[in-house]
Amino acid sequence: MNNKLPITRLGKFFSQDDFDINIQMGQEYLHGDLNMKLVLYRVDRQKTDNDDVYAEAGMDEIKFFPPVEFNALVKIDEPKNSSYTKGLMRYSEPGNMTLSVYITHLNDLGVDIRYGDYIGYADSEERLRYYTVTNDGRVTSDNKHKMFGYKPHYRNIICAPTQEGEFRGV
Amino acid sequence: MGIPKRKNMINVYGDKETYRGESVLKRRQELLDMITKSDSFLPDSILHDDLDKGMLDYIKETFKVVSDGVQIPVIEKILTIQRWGEFSANWEFSDGDGNVKLPFIAIIRKPDVQFGSNPAIQRTIPDRYQFHYATVPTWDGNQVGADIYKIPQPIPCDISYDITIVCNKFRDLNKINKIVLQHFSSRQSYTTVKGHYIPIVLDTIEDNTPMETIDGRRFYMQNYKCIMLGFLIDSDEFEVKPAINRAFIVNESLGGATFKRSYIGKSIDITLSTIISNGTTTTYSVGESITVLFNVSINGILQQKDLHYTYEPIFGGGSSINFNGTPLQGDVIVVSYYKGKNNKMYDQFGNELTVARETFTYNGTNLVFNVSQKINSIISITTNGLVEYSDEGYQLTGKDQITLTSAPVNGSTIELVYLY
Repeated sequence: MNNKLPITRLGKFFSQDDFDINIQMGQEYLHGDLNMKLVLYRVDRQKTDNDDVYAEAGMDEIKFFPPVEFNALVKIDEPKNSSYTKGLMRYSEPGNMTLSVYITHLNDLGVDIRYGDYIGYADSEERLRYYTVTNDGRVTSDNKHKMFGYKPHYRNIICAPTQEGEFRGV
Repeated sequence: MGIPKRKNMINVYGDKETYRGESVLKRRQELLDMITKSDSFLPDSILHDDLDKGMLDYIKETFKVVSDGVQIPVIEKILTIQRWGEFSANWEFSDGDGNVKLPFIAIIRKPDVQFGSNPAIQRTIPDRYQFHYATVPTWDGNQVGADIYKIPQPIPCDISYDITIVCNKFRDLNKINKIVLQHFSSRQSYTTVKGHYIPIVLDTIEDNTPMETIDGRRFYMQNYKCIMLGFLIDSDEFEVKPAINRAFIVNESLGGATFKRSYIGKSIDITLSTIISNGTTTTYSVGESITVLFNVSINGILQQKDLHYTYEPIFGGGSSINFNGTPLQGDVIVVSYYKGKNNKMYDQFGNELTVARETFTYNGTNLVFNVSQKINSIISITTNGLVEYSDEGYQLTGKDQITLTSAPVNGSTIELVYLY
């Protein structure tokens, strides 16, 4: 898997230059026009105080690397009205957040998004809602994530909202 | 080798009948004091909401678990279907979205309350029969009296509760589980509702964690199903009636001795036996055979036969008074009776005597009443049930005649009980 293997398919119609220019155009639109900014809190697996038996961490026991700002296409589902038991103990479950982020963008920032990391997205000027990554979209071998079947160019990352007692952020 | 014979005289309470170092009597008094904390002699009502509050208090006291340095909150009220009620009960613990912050503990009562299985009241008496609860002295400014307090049997009821913990750490589950198993190690635990001990039985422990959600909210949810073996006491069913509505007598007794006997100087010897109650037994003997029992009083309050005490022989033979309740320690019991001889009544000269009871109706003019026999001794004369005293209320004006000293209301009933 570590061997460098040149991608030569579609070489007559679609080359690396075409691939790059498409990404540049997409980033121009996403980063320039839409400019949806998020904050990535990558959990430091080494320093986080995990429980010896259950590997659970308390709210203030989660340690993370310096937050990184990044751009992505954001889609947030509608909240659901739910209850813990038989209609009682109701809660309004905020919808999941699905991000579409360019792989190149993550590479430029030198970060990776992994299962269990936290991501902040501003609901308003005063409030940053935190999400935890439930699907890091690392697997991109399908046609959908490949530009014209050439190479994967983005990842879909699904995040679930955290609860207040789970993660405090900064 | 044979089986050891049973020793019937083993004292299960220890030498001095103790409970955890205190005398059994003292413990009984403590228990009584617990259920009569209010200014009434009667216990307070225990209704459904009282039992629910007892459960809430029990959970708040028992389920104390600290998570991330903060005690896991118990939602203040029992959750019902009313949305506003649910919101008002948990708004204190809400996050920015208005949701209850995890972790938390909630108590949900099942609406269906079943007929109970409390072992203390499994045998029920039909028709809500009223039982004697207490005899309470009264004083209306002129006379000492007593009220009889009666209550029906409490109604057993079983109430099911789900104590639910919602959290997101396994360690919190472990802490709660440890506390629950410790408190229910003998299967049941107790709460107090208005001074009454009410048992709570742990039924089942269920895990309702929604594990199927991959991308959704994750939390643990465990239900501890408990059944409260409660009972209902409704003060609206209580009954208070005057114990004495016809007469009262006062017996003066000297303290110190536990048994004293004196005699009323009449033509026959009427005995007054004074006994000091020991607070434990219900049967007291005058130490000799009673031929005719006249009356029994406690602390000067006349006791009603068959209601407050029983004395089986109608005419002679017995020596013991059996009280339906236990007189308190130090109560002065006075028994007036005629001892007689061979179960017959004789006067001082050996003549056999007979009890007679005759009634007359006052016609508005004649205060003189003639009885059918020659009077040996007058036991009592009453006007409409009120006792008349010699020389004050009546005079013996002939061997078979008495005369009232003042006129009663026209049509009054005068009753004479006398010996001839």
